[in-house]
Amino acid sequence: MKRIIISHETRQLFRSGAFRSLLVLIAGAIAFAAWSGQRSIDRQVEGANAAIAFEDSRRGRMRADTERYEAQVLAEGGEYQFASARHAPGAGPPQGTNAGAVGAETSKYLTMPATGLASFSIGQSDIQLNYVPVSMNPTMNITRNNELENPVNLMTGAFDIAFVVIFLLPIFVLAISYDLLSSEKERGTLAMILAHPISLRELMASKIIARAGVLLAGVLLLGLLALFAVGANLGSTDTWARFGLWMSATLVYTLFWFAMSVLVNVYGKNSAANGIALAGTWLALVVVVPTLVSLLATTIYPAPSRMELTTAAREAQTAAEKNYMARLDEYYYDHLEFVPEGDERAMDFLTVAMSNRNAIDKAVRPLYDEFQAQLNRQESLVQRFQFISPAIMMQLALNEISGTSADRYEHFLGQVYAFHEEWGEYFTVRFLQRYPLKPADYDQFPAFEYREEPFGTVLMRLLPSLLGMLVLLFGAILIPFLTLRRYQVATS
Amino acid sequence: MIASIARKEFSEIVRDGRFKWTAGIMALLLLTALAAGYQKYSAHMDIQRLSQDQTNAQWLNQGDKNPHSGAHYGNYAFKPAGPLAFFDNGINNYAGTALFMEAHKQNFAVGRPATDQSSIGRFGDLSGAMILQLLMPLLIIFLGFTAFSGERESGTLRQVMSMGVSNRQLLWGKALGIGVAVLLVVGICALAGGVALSLADLSADNESLGARVALLSASYLLYGAVFLFLTLAVSAWAKTARTALMVLVGFWAFAGFLAPKAAVEISKAVHPTPAFGKWMADMRSHQMRGFDGVPPFVRFEQEAADIFAQYGASSVAELPVYVGALRLQKFEEYDFPVFEEHYGRLRDSYMNQRRLQDRVGIAAPTLPLRSLSMALSGTDLIRHINFADAAEAYRRDMVLKVNNYLATAASSFNTPGSGTFVADEAVFAMVPPFEFKSQGLGATLSEHAGNFIALLLWLCLSLALALWAVRRLSVEED
Repeated sequence: MKRIIISHETRQLFRSGAFRSLLVLIAGAIAFAAWSGQRSIDRQVEGANAAIAFEDSRRGRMRADTERYEAQVLAEGGEYQFASARHAPGAGPPQGTNAGAVGAETSKYLTMPATGLASFSIGQSDIQLNYVPVSMNPTMNITRNNELENPVNLMTGAFDIAFVVIFLLPIFVLAISYDLLSSEKERGTLAMILAHPISLRELMASKIIARAGVLLAGVLLLGLLALFAVGANLGSTDTWARFGLWMSATLVYTLFWFAMSVLVNVYGKNSAANGIALAGTWLALVVVVPTLVSLLATTIYPAPSRMELTTAAREAQTAAEKNYMARLDEYYYDHLEFVPEGDERAMDFLTVAMSNRNAIDKAVRPLYDEFQAQLNRQESLVQRFQFISPAIMMQLALNEISGTSADRYEHFLGQVYAFHEEWGEYFTVRFLQRYPLKPADYDQFPAFEYREEPFGTVLMRLLPSLLGMLVLLFGAILIPFLTLRRYQVATS
Repeated sequence: MIASIARKEFSEIVRDGRFKWTAGIMALLLLTALAAGYQKYSAHMDIQRLSQDQTNAQWLNQGDKNPHSGAHYGNYAFKPAGPLAFFDNGINNYAGTALFMEAHKQNFAVGRPATDQSSIGRFGDLSGAMILQLLMPLLIIFLGFTAFSGERESGTLRQVMSMGVSNRQLLWGKALGIGVAVLLVVGICALAGGVALSLADLSADNESLGARVALLSASYLLYGAVFLFLTLAVSAWAKTARTALMVLVGFWAFAGFLAPKAAVEISKAVHPTPAFGKWMADMRSHQMRGFDGVPPFVRFEQEAADIFAQYGASSVAELPVYVGALRLQKFEEYDFPVFEEHYGRLRDSYMNQRRLQDRVGIAAPTLPLRSLSMALSGTDLIRHINFADAAEAYRRDMVLKVNNYLATAASSFNTPGSGTFVADEAVFAMVPPFEFKSQGLGATLSEHAGNFIALLLWLCLSLALALWAVRRLSVEED
């Protein structure tokens, strides 16, 4: 009997024009989302490559100068010297021999590679660039946000697969199931069906299985197609593990909305009232609660304003300058190229400029740490409050799965800060020793390679969101299941 | 007759328990949003004013130094929030707040508050504007979808029609009844907004606040009317109340959630925003090779004779001004066209995207309203661009003043080995503090005329649909 109902419902669904157009709509939305998500990732890659190529070419030119100089020294004899200051082009040792100049005037761009599923959920990756410049400049400059995107576009947010799943999919679910029982009741067919050897629970389950089966099969298949179309690293197990998690999260989230439909149908009155209740629930859980939680987080733990941080950094800079630079020509501070050749002050200048940067870093560090601490407090408040809305849990989960979460970015920044120290130290030491950089040294500059977090860490962060959704789902299933026996089949 | 229909509709709605609930929740959310918005707004404005004063003081007290070093030390422009940001925060969370103005470099504003927020912030701001744009239409739909379809289902439509009421009278009466009920809820918001406004000493900004509020109210009323007549049209057209509800909720979700994102993605595809790395590399390479292919160093050598001739000198030694300052100012000016080209390219992509978004916006009434609301609240893209322009104009003037001063004051430093010129920090007072004056309301309005027209078109369309639907109103269920 159950099988008959399921196959009947499935056939009915496919015959209804509304359902077919819904399926077309969702396929279109996923295709569009995959395409636009991919564009966003491509743009990041293009930007990162251009920035890396630009800075590499500047270092490349400096290296070429040292090669010419080395050849000249070899040919003419003499000592391979350190350039204490910038010369007129062609005269004396080139700037490329000066580690201080190389380290201060060129940057190295570090990138956090996108995961195979990055285009599925853009998360914060559209405002936090995945490529950042490291040089001998203060730490603050690393995270100065350089994203150029039109603020209107950022405010509106990405049309990615996460958006389709979190916002649109529930609407489709509700549209095909809001009148599950109520319509049969209103038409008077419910009593007739139940005259057959089938319980109300079984009937309900069959109807849901038919709808959820068709819809989920469609969505997961489309997700797979999207993965093949726009996913990356299809050969790696990481990508497939992430896709498996994406499928599970989508499954649980979608089933939760079916369960909501059942819940409302069990308690609800007529179809129209069910519709209102479900639309209201959707609005509350997907729109209102997340914005309220965000409001709560930013009100309880407001991040210090970037404006305050800026003026504080400036205050530190002025103080440092007044202390250390008093005896020096500040003019040279800004214009290395004008430092006279062989002038010992040039040496002092770079030394002081370096100690200056250290002073700024030290002065700003506490403020900066406070910034990060406040953000972490916001984040942990959101972690705690996520359980009141499946949409928040789903968004956190999808960001985690796609590798666009705040935590992965922080993991990246941790490595960036460590590398910043290493890079700075490499050039500072050689500069202070007045060691002349040779062409071969250019191959020995510190190299950066992003170390991915262990998959277990990702799973552990993902667990609360996934478990929370599962608990909500079971709750939403259990309540109607228990009360279904008291359901009134005929309208009184 | 219309009045009594309206009265019946209104009292029926107000007596319904569902209305009390939804209206109560909506009013509560509105008040929360406005209170939070106001608190954030005043905190932002306090910090902005304080920071601007501080950075101005830092500029004046930066110590005795070479004036050009002073220009490198530079100054910051901090962006004020916009007169009605507490109601509609617009792009403020996603646009930079601090713009560094220094010698040799044009910068863009950095420090987007959104980067200092949990990722949940991307669900959006709970603001007065958000509630009126998204929740108010849904309230109208909930209150109005049964207006005709419900009466048909319960059989009262036939009775009403038999009493000689014309279809149009019925439409106007119902529109009036529902409209008043919605206004009752939204009125609280207007009142709360008014109180907040009178508490805040905003009039000092001289941004024609009264006119802004009036236009804002008019836009939202128009928007509400669009949804009201659409709801009545669908209610009259649909065979059952639940069909009406599904169609209306579907349209609402399309207009409020799908259309804005789709419009943005389409506009980005047609007019892509350059990627930061690419844009930066292009601009800096262009700077290094010179605007028209002559590197700045070479170009100055080429032009040196002409420049010296302007001072009646044929060599550096004869110059009555400091050559270093001349060179610095020239280098500065060589970069202007490069900045204009690359920043111009960026701005063109923004403006083209905006125009396209406005055009796509005709498909959904929420889009033109959103643009209007941001513009009237002073939290839109154009204001941000104006701010960046003002900062760049200030920067150029600051550098020019400082370099000119250096040219005359350090005129005796032209011989090699004469060291560098150090000025008393008092000279930095020659640069007046930065102050941002927004363009007037008039300019904003002329830029957004198209959005007003789009809203009006939507009103006409929804009215026409409603009139058409009630004309073919059938009293029977089929």
